[in-house]
Amino acid sequence: MNPWELIILQPVINVLIVLTDYLFDIFGLAIIALTIIVRFVTLPLTLKQLRATKGMQELQPKLAELQQKYGKDRQKMAQEQMRLYKESGMSPAGCLLPMLVQMPIWIALFQAILLALAVAPEALLNLSRYLYSWPQVYPMLPLGNEFLWLNLAEGNFILAILVGGTMWVQQKMVTPVTADPRQQAQSRMMLWMMPLMFGFLCLTFPSGLALYWMVSNVITIVIQYYMTGWGALAPSAARKPVGRDKKYMTRITQVEETISEPPVEADIVVPSSEAGDYGRSGDKSQERGGGYPPSLRAIRRQSGRGGSHHPKRR
Amino acid sequence: MWSRRNKVLLIKVLLLAVMLLAVVGGLSGLGCIKGLQPVGWSGGVVADGSLFVGSAEGRLVVVNIADGSRQWSEALTKPAAAGIFGCEASTAGGGCAAAPAGVAIYGTPAVSDGLVYLGGYNGKICAFNSSSLAVRWVYPREGYLDEPVVGGPVVAQGKVYIGASDGKFYALNAETGDREWEFKAGDKIWSTPAIDGDTIYIGSFDNKLYALSATDGSKKWEFETEGAIAATPLVYNNTIYIGSFDRHLYAMDATNGSLKWKFMGGNWFWAKPVVYNNTIYAGNLDGKVYILNAETGDEIVDAIDLGSPISSSPVIVDGSVIFASQKGLIYSIDTDGNEIRPPNPIDVEKNVYGPLSAREGIVYIHALQSVSGCATSPPKGELIRLNAQKWEVEESIPLSSE
Repeated sequence: MNPWELIILQPVINVLIVLTDYLFDIFGLAIIALTIIVRFVTLPLTLKQLRATKGMQELQPKLAELQQKYGKDRQKMAQEQMRLYKESGMSPAGCLLPMLVQMPIWIALFQAILLALAVAPEALLNLSRYLYSWPQVYPMLPLGNEFLWLNLAEGNFILAILVGGTMWVQQKMVTPVTADPRQQAQSRMMLWMMPLMFGFLCLTFPSGLALYWMVSNVITIVIQYYMTGWGALAPSAARKPVGRDKKYMTRITQVEETISEPPVEADIVVPSSEAGDYGRSGDKSQERGGGYPPSLRAIRRQSGRGGSHHPKRR
Repeated sequence: MWSRRNKVLLIKVLLLAVMLLAVVGGLSGLGCIKGLQPVGWSGGVVADGSLFVGSAEGRLVVVNIADGSRQWSEALTKPAAAGIFGCEASTAGGGCAAAPAGVAIYGTPAVSDGLVYLGGYNGKICAFNSSSLAVRWVYPREGYLDEPVVGGPVVAQGKVYIGASDGKFYALNAETGDREWEFKAGDKIWSTPAIDGDTIYIGSFDNKLYALSATDGSKKWEFETEGAIAATPLVYNNTIYIGSFDRHLYAMDATNGSLKWKFMGGNWFWAKPVVYNNTIYAGNLDGKVYILNAETGDEIVDAIDLGSPISSSPVIVDGSVIFASQKGLIYSIDTDGNEIRPPNPIDVEKNVYGPLSAREGIVYIHALQSVSGCATSPPKGELIRLNAQKWEVEESIPLSSE
């Protein structure tokens, strides 16, 4: 057995079998239970990822402004982007890292379900080498494939639609609301491509896996709802910033508040007339305030948030 | 000295690298987990100077044991692909593309009165003419059984007895293929039956061993274990020996099904055991051969570890029990001292899952090439002729028709 099988796959398979034993010998319930357990254990990572994603979305207008400003000067653009990330406390890796940490767990769960289904004789023989000598494990096998109207070892059209549907809802909730037509097109493509792809995969994979995906999607939807509300799924009139994630909201509000009320200890004091000039031709503020648009200038003003490495002008 | 910032950065990079490796490794094996495809592991049966075996291509192959010449039947056919877009969901996770082409044959064929019988994973039971390999009859005549056939057939009293994954045990007329009677168990039947006089013994995934009347299929008795039964029963001295998924090997009175003894191994007893001089030799998926007193179930000597799971039934040749491990190592256990002799195993360099067969000092082994879970063609199989006396491989005969 390789380290992946020994450390990750084998424990997951055995837990899945024991759960089946405790859940009335119904493998479908064990899949649901294990998905919930895994999602609960990885909840801090999920929350971190969602916060980071939301934060990155909120930074999009500011990034667009930078793009507009330094579009031709790539080096400067990169520098200013990094500065923006640092000062706002956000980072693109913040979205990626929690997701990457969760990926092996998802894959292990996926493979464990595939192995535990063990329809063919070879699969059952293969499964025997992963078993712990826990008293309830050996006699439990082979696991029953029937769950509700499903044969968990075969593809199912209804479940494929449910997977695609829940994935669409999940995607829609995190789709950024933007006026930029290019971003709109990108978002639209992502919104439809992922659910269609997963829906199609569910037709060819055993429905035990589709069940796992569907439950996982529903859990993500619930978490997202508590984090950020219905997002782009809500009608535009009802859409409002959600205050559930206080830490994240505090940070964003700080950024917004400082626009109208510069702090006394600001690094750079920008005359309001110049700030108002931003966006017009000429733009003198580049020399004084580093050329930042008003919102970015506000970020720079925040002391103690990455801006402290700049020598203060006294 | 490294600054704290650099250390944190290094940890982040390492973590990211590990995660990426896990993701790439995991994804590459996502739909291609090895050992999930039905390939088949039919054993061989020797009759009239020929050996009959089911190949991984889904064909009945007849090998002339004198000169090694081969003859193939037509390949068994699959039911039309179920599911949307012509794709069939499979536990290989790959749908259409990952399914090997052949119909798997697990049971060892049975030969009687010029006919060869076998069951296919396509849910069809077939009788072939033993010389021309032309199909004599199929059951069911139209379509397929709802579930695959995994166990092998047994022929007696002019009937073919065979179980299927639909939980039914069939008795068919050996000449015509007409159904004479059927018995419904509570779950799948993968076991090959054993017959003794007018009683037929068959295990099922419903944890039970059934004793049925060979004449009309009426139940004489049943015995319930704590796990599913996929093994083939051994009948010896009015006792039934059978392994269960509860890790026990059971010994039951053949007359009434009362328990005589049970013995626990480290994993499942999948293979049919053999008996010699009142001693049971039972291979286990924990890789060990358990040597037990047939009367009491006591261990005669410590179990012999063959290093990899044992799913193939052994054979007895000249007072030695020949075992094959899944990794293709062939061992000879001398029944005098119950030790491995000669001490060096023979490595056939292929996997062995199916039962061994023997005739006149020669052991016949159906060995299969190892394949990945994503293989689109069936693995190459070979029939290996091993001379038990000289302890050497005489010949490897490819079973593939190409």
